[in-house]
Amino acid sequence: MTGRLWALCAKEIADLRLNPGVFAPAIFTAAVALAIPIFIAIVLPAVTGESLSDSSDFRAMAELFTSQPWIRDLTPEGAVQAFIFQQFLVLLVMSPVAASMSSASFSVIGEKQARTLEPLLATPISTTELLGAKILGAFVPAACLTLTTFAIYLAVAAALAAPGVYRALLSPAALAIMFLVGPLASLLSLQLAVCVSSRVNDARSAQQIGALVILPIAGLLIAQLVGGVVLTAWLTLAIAAALVVLNLVVLRVAVALFDRESILTRWK
Amino acid sequence: MTPLLVARGLAKSFGTRVAVSELSLELRPGETLALVGPNGAGKTTTLRMLAGLIAPSQGHVELNGRELAPESAGWARRQIGILTEAPGLWDRLSVRKNLTVYARLYSLDSPAAVVDAALERFGVLDRAKDPAAQLSKGLRQRVALARALLHDPRVVLLDEPTSGLDPESARGVRELVRGLASEGRAVLICTHNLDEVDRLAARVAVLRTKLLAVDTPQALRARFFGARVRVRLAGDPAPHAGLLRAAGVADVRVEDGALSVALDGSPVKSTPDLVRLLVEAGAQVEEVARETPPLEQVYLRVLSEGHS
Repeated sequence: MTGRLWALCAKEIADLRLNPGVFAPAIFTAAVALAIPIFIAIVLPAVTGESLSDSSDFRAMAELFTSQPWIRDLTPEGAVQAFIFQQFLVLLVMSPVAASMSSASFSVIGEKQARTLEPLLATPISTTELLGAKILGAFVPAACLTLTTFAIYLAVAAALAAPGVYRALLSPAALAIMFLVGPLASLLSLQLAVCVSSRVNDARSAQQIGALVILPIAGLLIAQLVGGVVLTAWLTLAIAAALVVLNLVVLRVAVALFDRESILTRWK
Repeated sequence: MTPLLVARGLAKSFGTRVAVSELSLELRPGETLALVGPNGAGKTTTLRMLAGLIAPSQGHVELNGRELAPESAGWARRQIGILTEAPGLWDRLSVRKNLTVYARLYSLDSPAAVVDAALERFGVLDRAKDPAAQLSKGLRQRVALARALLHDPRVVLLDEPTSGLDPESARGVRELVRGLASEGRAVLICTHNLDEVDRLAARVAVLRTKLLAVDTPQALRARFFGARVRVRLAGDPAPHAGLLRAAGVADVRVEDGALSVALDGSPVKSTPDLVRLLVEAGAQVEEVARETPPLEQVYLRVLSEGHS
């Protein structure tokens, strides 16, 4: 089973490499997500000469995180920087995935429009393998981009922010966001896009539904920023567990909804 | 010889529209069967049902004695090679990569070796590194055919294999298809090209939702047009036509300065008898040939009689 899945997944990635323009929005979005916190936490204070810790709003928000040992030991300016870097981590994790939604949502529709789907369906590949390959084909490049972006983020925090700020990005909650919640939310989003892609004739419909997953994540980001939610390690793990369940459910639904006959006979 | 592929009472409806009904046919090893019919006659639907890509509404398909069912779909797809109407190549990928992905999808033991052999056999080895988008239509069709045969299927289903190809490319593809049957594969071709049918197919099936006729091209000609002989004489053939009618030959025509005589049901049973009769009447026979009506005429006759 895995041989066929990886064969098709490798084809998806090879196809993407030969058409890098498709991935350009993802790279651009990741760069923007990287630039915003760096601009706020490092560039802006350096340009204006005003410390972030002079702002009572920033101080108040940073105090919400004083229970974290790596923030408690920082200078007031470092604490605010750590707070900003940590808050924007969610955006950093999600943005490449949001941007790679276009390739996921086009995956099945694109095959149909290029008339490459029928020969593919004539092979012994199962629906689970086919959809799995399509999902992973979109997920793997997005995940690689996210990891690269995180490495740059960490390096910038270590090099340009106050001493010790980078450790806020290596906290259990931050790592759980980076390596559990982010990838699982991405997977869910891309699964939805591929699932819808197999049922509609228009890639935009798939993108819109896949993007729905981004909304709760964006809501979580805003809730954090206004202090409504504090993402502790346990809360992050609970969200991750819920996402695992949702991913499994969506995969089963996607396989059940993938009607080979309708795809072959009704799409023109 | 035991048939490899058997269809029994196949029917397929999409909602209230009946695409195919009461279709039964057999396909034997080494045989090429052509499925012809007007647009919308149900040829592609039939092909998809035979390939197990869509399920019939009624009836069943047996492959090598085993009935096709959802649980045997994976097994069936390893026995069948299908060339779809469009080549369906991934344009950005190289020819080699296109084939390699399929070799791996069929879980072949040595994908690279199998692909190399296919590239060589189908004459596209020198284009192996080129993106599929850069190939001509004829070469794309060759690659698609190579892909359909990578897993060495015993049954090959081809949907309009030479459609839109220039004569040279079409001939190349026809040669490849001819080779498939000589290797003992059972080949079914859906086509509109009746000249191609004449060149390739051992049997013809005329479909318009239902099967209207299935037989060899020769048998269909004989059934719908009878045995006719064309006799060219020195001079005006018209008086000799009258002579033959007087001798009881009912169907005699003068066409293009020659006599066209139907022997079926006539008191003159054979070509030598006909020639003797004419010579004894003083005719100078220049040329005698058995008439072979174009398959197109046979096809149109089958359709019109099927309609009536």
